[in-house]
Order: sequence, then C-alpha cells, then structure tokens
Amino acid sequence: MDFTELTTHPIDITSVARRVVPPECGATVTLDGYVRQITKGRETLHLFYEAYEPMALKEMEKLIEQAKRDFEISHVGIVHRLGRLEIGETSVVISVAAPHRKAAFAACEWLIRELKRTVPIWKKEVYADGEVWIEGDSAAGV
Amino acid sequence: MKVRVLFFGATAAAAGTNTLELNLDDRSNTGQVYDDLLERFPELSRHRLLFAVNQEYASRSTPLNAGDELAVFTAVSGG
Repeated sequence: MDFTELTTHPIDITSVARRVVPPECGATVTLDGYVRQITKGRETLHLFYEAYEPMALKEMEKLIEQAKRDFEISHVGIVHRLGRLEIGETSVVISVAAPHRKAAFAACEWLIRELKRTVPIWKKEVYADGEVWIEGDSAAGV
Repeated sequence: MKVRVLFFGATAAAAGTNTLELNLDDRSNTGQVYDDLLERFPELSRHRLLFAVNQEYASRSTPLNAGDELAVFTAVSGG
C-alpha cells in the first residue's frame, strides 16, 4: 500500500521501508534525507520545517500517482518530518518497492526531486548569527 | 464575499500573521488580492511568491469564490 505522512516524531526508516513491500517485489529503494551541518560554508545549529499540511499531503499523493504512471513500481511510502530537527536527524524518507531495482532507483530519484519542487513544506535554517527561511530554486505548479 | 488567506514561513513573517479573513468584491481573482496584500504588507515584494486556491496551485488569474482558501507562500524548500 502507498502512504504519505507528516510527523513531528523521529522517523524510523526501517519501518517505512518495510511498509511498502508486496509479494511481487524484489527490491525497495529508500532515500533517507537528513539534516546537514555545513551548507554553503555556514554552520547550521538546527532546522525547523513548516508545512501547509493538507496541501502537502495532496501533493505527495499526486507525486505517487504520477510516479506509478511513469515507472514500473509497485508501492511508495513518503514520510516528512516537521518542527525542529537537530543535525543528523532524518527529515524525509521515500521508499519505493518494485519488481526490479532499476525502476525503484529511477522513481525514488524522481520523487525526491519533485517533492523538493512542488510540496508545500518550508525549511528554516538556524545559524549562530541568525536564521533564514530557505526559498526553493524553481517555480512549482502552474 | 469572504475569503481566507493563509501565510507560511517567510510570508507569515512578512505579514506578521498566519491567517487573514478578507472581504472581497464578488468577482475578485488571485492577482487582485495579491496586489492588495502587497500594499498592506510591502515586505512580501522581497520574495518570489506562489499561490494556491483551495489547496491547488493557482495563478494571478485564478478566480476566487466565497469561502475559498488562498495561500500565499515562497518557493518550497522541503525534503
């Protein structure tokens, strides 16, 4: 079964990966995205994620539907964490189960790229000398 | 007609609020509301902005109806 979730709790990557496995699949590719300490030479103290929650869940579901049309995959699970995250903590997990690993890898890469482009979630970086809401690079939607 | 405006992250900081109730003319569109918000909160103009109406991405020409939810936010940065 596919699933999309937003949570303020630490994400258990293994349980996300295990939830997508159906009998016909031979591989699950899981992306574990976590908080980096050094970004563009600046040291991050911690991050804060905020979401437009109902729309974020809808956009994640749309991505899964599109991925299943474009790639030969079976199931997808996406979990994104919100609130305060410390360095090294997982912010997002995307698990893709497929009969063959090539499609799983391709779909997982596509999903994280599109999530970062279209899902209404924003990251605030907190540094020793200030904080800033990060703005994405590309325009989404229309 | 009443429309609810939602702000997030940088736009919430610029507007000083997460949510606003607006009373609009019956045939308003997203762009008109955006122009009004810009006058009210000039700091919004420092950002490239995206819009969503009822949780679907919208453009300036998207019409608004009574009870709609218009979200105004900066380019997303999740993941």
